[in-house]
This record gives sequence, structure tokens and C-alpha cells, in this order.
Amino acid sequence: MLPHRSRKSVLVFLIPPLLLYGVAVLFPILQSLFLSFFSWDGISSLRFVGTTNYTHMLFGDDVFWRAFRNALGYLAICLVLQLGGALLVASLLTSVRRGREVFKTLYLLPAVISTVAIAYLFARIYSIEPVGLLNQVLHWVGLSGLERSWTSDVHTVLAAVSIPEGWRFLGLYTLIIYAALLAVPQELEEAARLDGASAWRVFVNIRFPYIRPVWTTTTIMATTYGLRGFDIPYIMTNGGPGQSSELLTTYMYKTAFTSTDYGYASSISVFIVLECLVAVGLIALLYRRKALS
Amino acid sequence: MKNTMKVTAVAAAVALLAACSSGGGGATASGNATGPVKGRQISWLLSRPADGAVITTMKKIAEDYASTHPGFSLNLITTPDRPSYIQKYETLAAANKLPELFDTDATPFAQKLAKQGKLVDVDKLLKDLGLYDSYRANALNYQRFDDGSLYMVPMQFELEFFWYNKALFQKAGVSVPTSLDDIPAMCTALRTAGVTPIAIDGQDQWPLERYMSYHPFRTAGPDYVKTLKTGGAKFSDAAGTAAADWLAKLGSNKCFQDGFASQGYSDAQNLFTSGKAAMYNIGTWELSSLATDKLDPSVRQNVDFFRLPAAAGSATAANEYVATSGIGMAVSAQSYDPLVKDFLKFALTKYPAAYAASGSLSPTTNVKTTVPGNASPLYQKALDEANDLGNAICFPWDTQLDPTTNTRLQQEETLLVQGDTSASAFIDTMDKTLSENAPKFFG
Repeated sequence: MLPHRSRKSVLVFLIPPLLLYGVAVLFPILQSLFLSFFSWDGISSLRFVGTTNYTHMLFGDDVFWRAFRNALGYLAICLVLQLGGALLVASLLTSVRRGREVFKTLYLLPAVISTVAIAYLFARIYSIEPVGLLNQVLHWVGLSGLERSWTSDVHTVLAAVSIPEGWRFLGLYTLIIYAALLAVPQELEEAARLDGASAWRVFVNIRFPYIRPVWTTTTIMATTYGLRGFDIPYIMTNGGPGQSSELLTTYMYKTAFTSTDYGYASSISVFIVLECLVAVGLIALLYRRKALS
Repeated sequence: MKNTMKVTAVAAAVALLAACSSGGGGATASGNATGPVKGRQISWLLSRPADGAVITTMKKIAEDYASTHPGFSLNLITTPDRPSYIQKYETLAAANKLPELFDTDATPFAQKLAKQGKLVDVDKLLKDLGLYDSYRANALNYQRFDDGSLYMVPMQFELEFFWYNKALFQKAGVSVPTSLDDIPAMCTALRTAGVTPIAIDGQDQWPLERYMSYHPFRTAGPDYVKTLKTGGAKFSDAAGTAAADWLAKLGSNKCFQDGFASQGYSDAQNLFTSGKAAMYNIGTWELSSLATDKLDPSVRQNVDFFRLPAAAGSATAANEYVATSGIGMAVSAQSYDPLVKDFLKFALTKYPAAYAASGSLSPTTNVKTTVPGNASPLYQKALDEANDLGNAICFPWDTQLDPTTNTRLQQEETLLVQGDTSASAFIDTMDKTLSENAPKFFG
């Protein structure tokens, strides 16, 4: 318990960031909520339409639901690559004795490259005309039948735009999980091994439970980052072909700035906020139950 | 959560702009300004290539004007990427913060601005400055809204042709198509000969939308899209159905390069200029790449062009096709004052000659374009086509339809050409989208 004077100091220092948070986050959310009940093109007067935007969004807009399904697919691929990949790489890093720093730097590198550069890099990798790296490799290994324009094919485009996002943050989450794994007491693992536990049993029963709080935080970060994915799909495919790689964020952006339907775009943005809150709540609930069990 | 914040902040920013915009109704579209000319900086929000002829020419003119008008300068704010530009332009419009000059097509959004009195009437302005009669009728008509009003100054004049490679045509045993319906069969022959038939920038979507507009323009005339966009006509009408069937045929006959949907502008240009593609549908703004010694000699000697082919029972003439004056320059009524008027008078008087000297087609008829020294005979041939234009213009549909229908059309036509949807499903989707959005926008 902090002494009275210290608590007062803490409160004083907490108020400025709280105010900033209110202005930068809460106020815009409330503004969006307000706008979502109106029809507005940006230059004419606001026209109150009640819940029409929400009714249309939930029951009359096939693109919205397509974008929602795509967003979930995009999230799933990103999570597998970012969390699954990070856990695997971090576990392997703990076993590496030499060159560990080099590996860490190499894995972290994509996180510091600009999104635009990553998008153009992958666009070239996936290209068929001129032939890109992926198709060239498939040709070399005798899998010419699989060659295609990965970002033009409606069956592959969603994965094609998800992979760069997953690759980009793999290093960041690897470092976080690696740091957590380093904190696992070695004596516990050694005792388990002396008792004859396999590497898998050590991981499941000792390592993972020990890093669970960090894992929960990482999952929340990766999920919310995945749900707000925008820049790479937008730059690479603009949501296309058709709506094959349209996400809720790209659809919201187009609704606002191409269709100039700011009211409807606001209702989509409110949905995105709720979606993120629900996702965070579900993750927290899931891991709390597991921790209790 | 960081991006969630961003996403909501964007919407909120727009909301804030709304509050600002409510007080902006006081501007007038008088097209007239009297009083002393006081030097200051004026801005032009542009969606044009930074090193293009329009900007280069206007920069020089502004420098000349500044030399006799202390304090004057022209601030050019360039955003060549069209979607980014439109976002910036519409956000500034919402905030009632549009600069003195800004680029816009004759879109429904611009028409709303005009109706709210935020744009200077260019028809009156040009007449007032004594320049109106020097403009090409087609250049002005392209900038007009449906009611005939004119609020944008044309800064260029471009003709769009089908450029083709004679050697590749010969290799495939095909000749210049006389009808749009010849093109799908030509594609099959070219593919059989191992040639990519048509290079297209699929990423930017407007080039493919041109193909959607061609068939209806030939069979039903220019009024079809004008009626369609307000819901008076349907995609399921004969003209629309024929267009969808034709697009589907272009796709099934593999007319466009593999993976065209993710190929950009320079990809398409390179495909044609490197001699890998037989045709390329583009405007005279690319004359310096297609008709000068910049083009590889082996391709240069084989390049030629043809106009938009006819169709069975054409309603429009052979000399009527896409002839645009590009994105226009609008003048904000809010900041229109004696200086802006005086500068526009100076600039628009000097502009045609200076622009034509750069090898470009002027939107006016009072100057002759200077053909560059490194040009091939094709350069002059393309320029001469401007003297033989009919009255009807094949309007690009992306400047005509409401934005939501336009976006959906651009998405669906790619699927149609790729064979991911059928012509009938395409028509159904587009009619549904049109019926939902056209009344909201034009109603």
C-alpha cells in the first residue's frame, strides 16, 4: 500500500495520459457511435436515420459479411503464423548456444521494415508476370502445376495477404515469448527431466504453464492487431479480386472515403470496436478458466 | 488496439470536420471578383504526376506571374495516387477547407459542391476572361455536369486508342478489328501464337472499366450510362447484358495477361513496350513512351494504333470514342478574390501555348502542339486525330456512376473476366447495387 502522498503523486501523473486516452480513443469512439445513427456524405447536412445503418449492415449487406468472414480467416492465419511460429522459434532459440543474437535480429528485422515496402516485396514474390520468387521456386522443384498469380486467384488471395502480416510480427512475438521462456526456472525443468519427463511433457507441464500470463497478453495483442489489419491487404489487393481479400477495415475505409457514406462507415467502425472488445474478453475468459483448472 | 483507435479516429475526425463544415455555406459562385490585387500564396491541390506537363507548365507560369506580383506564390500540393487524392479532397471539402484551386472530375460529389455554391462557375469565368471560345467543345463538354453546367477548367486533352504491335498481329495472322466482337477471336489467335493479346493495368481497375463502357457506347450511344447511373436504365437492359457477355468472352478467350488483376500501370506498359503484348489501350498522355525514340527500336517500328472499333448496328461514329480532358481544375468560391481571378486570367491565357510546346495536346484550339525532335511519325498521326473528332464522348464510367455502384462494378467486372462469376450473376449483382445506391446519391 502506497503512503497517502505517494498515491496522490501517482494520481497526478496518471491524469494527463488518461485525458489523452479520453481525447484520442474514447471521444472518437463516442463520435463514431453518434455518427452511426446518421446518413452523411461529408458535405450535406446530417440526416438522422435511427438504426438503419445497423439494420442494413447486419441484414442487408453481403459485402459486410464477406468482409467479416475474411477478417476471421485473416486473423486465423496471422495467429497461427505469429503465435505458433513465435512459440516454436522461441523454444528453438532457447536450445541454440551460438549465433542466438544473429537469429533474434534476423527474426525481428521485418518488424522494422515499412509496411509499404513489405507489401511491394510480397507482391513481387507472388507475381506470375513477370515471374516472382514463389512461382520460380515451384517451377524449379517441378511443381509448375501450382504456379499462379497468388494475389489474383480468389482461392489464394486471402492467405497471400495474411502471410506478410504474420511474417512481419513473427520476430516481435518471438522475442516476447523467448524472454518469458528464459524466466522459467531451470531447476524445475531439470528435476522433471531427472524424473524421466520427455521434452514435450516438460513443455506442456512446466514451460507453458509458467509463461501463460505472457502468452495471454501476447494472444490479446496478436488478435487485436490481426482484427485491425488494414495496410498490407489494402496496398497489395485493395480488397480484391472482387471481395476476396476485403476486410472489415478496408471495407470501412472505402465506405467512408470512396462512397462518402460516413454514417454507414461509422457503424462498421463501431462493429470493429465491439468485435475487438469481445475477442479480448473471450481470450481473457478462456485463459482464466484454464489457469483455474 | 492501436489500429482500432486509428479506425475510429478516422470516423471521429470526419465527425469533427462535420461540425466545422456547418458554417461554410456563405461562399458564392459569382465567378466575379473586384478590388485591388494583393499578393499572397494560393494553393492548388493536384492529382497529377509531379513531373507531368501540366504541373511543369503551371510552375513556370506562376514564377512569371510572381515576378510582377510581389508576395504571390503558387503552392502545388501533389497527390498523384487517385484514391489517396480523393480521400484528401473529400476530407477537406467536408471541413470546408478546400484550397483556392483543386482537381476534380465531374463526379456527383463535385456536383453537390457546385450546388452548395462552393465552386466558381467556370462557364462564366472563361467567358468573363474572354477565353471560352478558344476551348475545344469536347474538352469543355467532358467537364460538364449532366445539367450542362461547367465548374472545372480543362487542363489537357487526351485521346484514347488501342495501340498494337503489327509484327505480333502478323505472327498470329490477325488484322485490325473492325468490330468489338472481333476482339475475343483475335485473342484466341494471338494466344495460339504464344502472344499475350492485351496488356492491362488491372490493379487500378479503371482501365478494365473502360472495356465495360465500350460496347454500350457503340450499341446504345452515350446516353446509356447517363440514364443508367440514375437508375433510369438497368444493367440487365440489352446494352448492359451485351457488355457483360462481351467482357466474359474477353476473359474466357484469355485476352488479358495472366494475373492481370494484380498487375499495375507500369507492368502493363512494360508488357507492351517490351513487345510481349499485342495490344494496349491507353491515351495520348503516353505518346512520349509509345511514339518517340524512348521506345525500343525493335518495337517502335511495329507500333501503330486504331480507334475504338465499331459494333453491330453502332449508334456512334468511328471518330467518337474516349476523348477526355482529364481531371479538371475547380476554383473554390470561398477564396475567390481579385488575386485568384487575376492569376487565372494570366495563367489560362499563357497556358495553352506553353503546354503545347511541351508536346501535349492543348484543351484549346488556338495553339499547335510542338512535336518533339525524337518523335516517330506516329506522334503526329495521333495528334491529328484530335482534328477529326465527332461530338459524342465515350465517358469513363468511373466518373459517372455513384461511388458505391462504381466500386462494386470494378470488383465484379474483374471476377467476370477471371471467370469467377457468370454474366448473369454479374448483371444481378450490379442491378441490385445500382437500385440500392443510385437513388440515395442522385435522388
